[in-house]
Amino acid sequence: MDELDLLKKDWNKQTEHKTLSVKDIYPMLHKKSSSIVKMLFYISIAELIFWILISTIPYYTSDEFRTKLDKVYTNDYILNGLNIFSFSIIAVFIYLLYKSYKSISVTDSAKKLMESILKTRKIIKYYVLYNLIMVGLSLIIGLYYGLSNDPKISNIANLNTAKIFIISIVVIVFIAIVILLIWLFYRLLYGLLLKRLNRNYNELKKLEV
Amino acid sequence: MNKELEHSFVELLEKHQNIVHKVCRLYTNNYDAHNDLFQEITIQLWRAYPKFRGDAKFSTWMYRVGLNTAITLYRKSKRTIKTQEFEGVAFKMKAEYYDDTEEEQLKVLYKAVHQLNDIEKALVFLYLEDKDYREISETLGISEVNARVKMNRIKTKLKTILNP
Repeated sequence: MDELDLLKKDWNKQTEHKTLSVKDIYPMLHKKSSSIVKMLFYISIAELIFWILISTIPYYTSDEFRTKLDKVYTNDYILNGLNIFSFSIIAVFIYLLYKSYKSISVTDSAKKLMESILKTRKIIKYYVLYNLIMVGLSLIIGLYYGLSNDPKISNIANLNTAKIFIISIVVIVFIAIVILLIWLFYRLLYGLLLKRLNRNYNELKKLEV
Repeated sequence: MNKELEHSFVELLEKHQNIVHKVCRLYTNNYDAHNDLFQEITIQLWRAYPKFRGDAKFSTWMYRVGLNTAITLYRKSKRTIKTQEFEGVAFKMKAEYYDDTEEEQLKVLYKAVHQLNDIEKALVFLYLEDKDYREISETLGISEVNARVKMNRIKTKLKTILNP
């Protein structure tokens, strides 16, 4: 006889676990879920807040920074334009995340459910990537302005073009390494969180080949 | 959520709880983990319940939510001890398998099923629950042909685990 048929015979008989009563089940409804969707949700909220703070705190807390920034962007239109741009990007991400969370449904097929979760994770990933690129770019632009316009820096170092070139390279490499490290940290974070999901998703995909 | 909805849900779940217990039995291997997964499946069922429409059978709907929670949403809690229980099964197996009492055979079979991966377990579960390949394919989101092929492979795999 087929092994599974033997198991089938026994399958419905087994009741190892104690049967729960209505009273046991009620409190379960109000407990907190610990699903990966919940975790992803918290991470995305943290992500949004973190990057908004990173980009606004220096401006509002340091007068020096504000005056410097105002000097760099002598034109108010540019500064306003940039602000509008970055806030609309954030708004777009919030909208996409919201839509994508809404589409996660536990009553879909397993494959569809996994795809919706992976899509949500991708949106968070792009948001982080966007922020990292912006941080990198603004640091590099800041460096360029500092070296070419700030008399303090150029006087102290008494810089010639070769020196400026070398310093720039070193700083850019440094920024790139920091950004890469943050990126790796994210990879690890999501990797751990979604390890099982990814494994099962690949297993399902393998079936379709 | 209103009380009436809550009440009808809890009563339905109480009646059909065995389905959830069976999912838990397949995907966990100790008491705490079983309860943990049961809890999570209950939450997911409850959340999805307002959208549950009577045209699907409650039990059928439960299979889907239960399996989806087990293979996709559930994060094993820290309490879940990675049991070593199933290690060395292959060694013991041979001796046990030739013990011809059915009970012993079943024990070995359950252990072998526990060694399968999450997706294979889902297929076995639906098969044991007498679901046809159409329902299996719809629940997992794969084609019927592929569900059938995979099921045959699992049967072979189980044979090899049982008769190394």
